[in-house]
Amino acid sequence: MIKATLMMLVVGGLLGLILGIAEKVFFVEKDERSEAVSAMLPGYNCGGCGFPGCSGLAGALVSKDVKTVCCKPCKAEQRQAIADYLASTVGPDGTNVIVKA
Amino acid sequence: MTDLFTLAISAILINNIILSKFFGMCPFLGVSRKTSSAIGMGAAVLFVIVGASCITYGLHYLVLVPLGIEYMQLITFILVIASFVQLTEIIIKKFSPVLYKSLGIYLPLITTNCAVLFVAKDNITQGFNISEMLTYSFSVPLGFMLVLYIFSAIRERLDSSKVPASWVGNPIALVVAGLMAIAFTGFAGLV
Repeated sequence: MIKATLMMLVVGGLLGLILGIAEKVFFVEKDERSEAVSAMLPGYNCGGCGFPGCSGLAGALVSKDVKTVCCKPCKAEQRQAIADYLASTVGPDGTNVIVKA
Repeated sequence: MTDLFTLAISAILINNIILSKFFGMCPFLGVSRKTSSAIGMGAAVLFVIVGASCITYGLHYLVLVPLGIEYMQLITFILVIASFVQLTEIIIKKFSPVLYKSLGIYLPLITTNCAVLFVAKDNITQGFNISEMLTYSFSVPLGFMLVLYIFSAIRERLDSSKVPASWVGNPIALVVAGLMAIAFTGFAGLV
């Protein structure tokens, strides 16, 4: 029992360390707006918008690939909140995104 | 050498992971709309299966067996696989954002792709030595990639052909999957 627990701790710690280092080494600059938008989406990953998952739609919204918040399970006020957020927040390129709710 | 070749052929064609064992159905239906994402998915699964198999094989014979805690096999293997998929995700995100986008939610879902756990466990239960283990864990995902590629090519063709309205999309894809499984039974008895 103790051996098993210790083994899990060591293996888990080692793997966590490797992942932590990998995250630092392969760091990718991210637009924080797309994370904020995917947090505002319902998170069902239903694919109803035509993108693979909610983060796919969030990325498309931020990069101006879609002109409307085409999330089907969202309520009207959630869509409005996303549109308002995108209109009021300026991205790293210095522009904001105007989309229809 | 011939043994290894037989092992590889049987893992790729005869005991194909998707069409005769029915493992890994989720990405099989989920990322088979485009051949490019099918190849990407196949490559990601290949990387995960080879890497995770090597680590779990080593872990089993160098840590679990000497300590006499083989009953921890399943949970440690899952831990290793989950971490390996995370690593794959980090690497793909860095080097191929396009592939990362097209795989979407199916990339972290490789964690729950039972093909990965199946290969890791099968390496142990079949009592493979190192070269057999490497051959096996390389050829199973090759079979996965092959079938995923064929299936996505057929689906791309189907998109531009006349399909009865009630069969468009997933229904006809499932029929295709069934027909492919029947076709692959023709390989039985090859080796």
